[in-house]
Amino acid sequence: MSPELLDSILEGRRSQPHQLIEVLHDVQEHYGYISEDAMKTISNDLGVPLIEIYGVASFYKAFSLKPRGKNVITMCTGTACHVRGAKPLLNQATSQLGVQPGETTQDGLFTIEKVNCLGACAFGPIVTENGDYHHDMSPGKLRKLIKSLHPTRTEETSHD
Amino acid sequence: MLQYVNMKIDGGDFRATKGSSVLDVAIEYGICIPHLCHVPNLSEIGACRLCIVEHVVNGRSKVTTSCTLLVKEGMVIRSNTEKIKKLRRNIAELLVAQAPNSRAIQDIAVRCGVKEVRYPFRNENCVLCGRCVRVCSELFGAKAIGFVGRGKDRRVEPPFGVLSDLCKHCGTCIDLCPMTFNPCEGYMKSGEEHLCGKCESQMLLADNLPESCVWCELGEGFQCSRY
Repeated sequence: MSPELLDSILEGRRSQPHQLIEVLHDVQEHYGYISEDAMKTISNDLGVPLIEIYGVASFYKAFSLKPRGKNVITMCTGTACHVRGAKPLLNQATSQLGVQPGETTQDGLFTIEKVNCLGACAFGPIVTENGDYHHDMSPGKLRKLIKSLHPTRTEETSHD
Repeated sequence: MLQYVNMKIDGGDFRATKGSSVLDVAIEYGICIPHLCHVPNLSEIGACRLCIVEHVVNGRSKVTTSCTLLVKEGMVIRSNTEKIKKLRRNIAELLVAQAPNSRAIQDIAVRCGVKEVRYPFRNENCVLCGRCVRVCSELFGAKAIGFVGRGKDRRVEPPFGVLSDLCKHCGTCIDLCPMTFNPCEGYMKSGEEHLCGKCESQMLLADNLPESCVWCELGEGFQCSRY
């Protein structure tokens, strides 16, 4: 990761501890995850103890401490989505990609995330792909979505 | 100059220093409110919930932790009603199910009147009281450990799980930890955890004087504030 980018994120926010979450959001967005080195730099520049940053970064689902895949598939498993069938969706994604929620595929293309609510309960079940919301999902739609993101691999593993 | 307020605890009138918590006042006047996460001179986080009391406002009572409740003029507190005793017993039961391998927690369970544990034993080695975290960050300013994760994954850890140079190995976190004393009979392996309850004789006097500190020995394991 380039120090210049982190520098530009921190620009104008130095020594302002209350900017911590904003900075972490930007780092997450630009690097895909929050690395140890990034946390140490942020700790120095914002004047926030390292343990506090680690605590915040590990507390929120929005932040990842491990590198994430190119495509992040986020499944909502909140109450409304659960009732409308989030479980088959999760099964579809895990079996199609062969990884568990929170893990990244070997080729680094996909990460499956499980969250408790995405705030769009009326349109459930919701799946987001790199931040784009897909409403009223079904296992079939999800299969096509994942396929469209990575056609070659899914053709080999798809059985129908 | 110190400012004082007048308040009632269990019907008795007390004069308390403004700015102190209800638990501080109770300890000062020898009223026994069981507590675990409270350490003098550290901030209160109300983590263990053992020090719950009833706070009566306009004739209606609210249950809240006395360590985070600051004294106010004309405040009415009930620390030992049937409702509180029942709630406190349940909290102590949950604590002992979480971490049976601690003399401090076994003792607290006896003090709160736990007779049986209805929950499955987890045998964890932490109850997340936060004593170590607070003493590290507040008293020493080292900030070498802290709470990480959330919900059922919450735990105490140094940054990235590796002890860094921030830790000066002062050992105060270990001194304050309620988990460092094993029960008198030794470590309970998983599968053979049980409520110890051997110290129930300590309760002979306490049962008759439920609201006052009778200098029982049950607080030794966690530095009960009378020591």
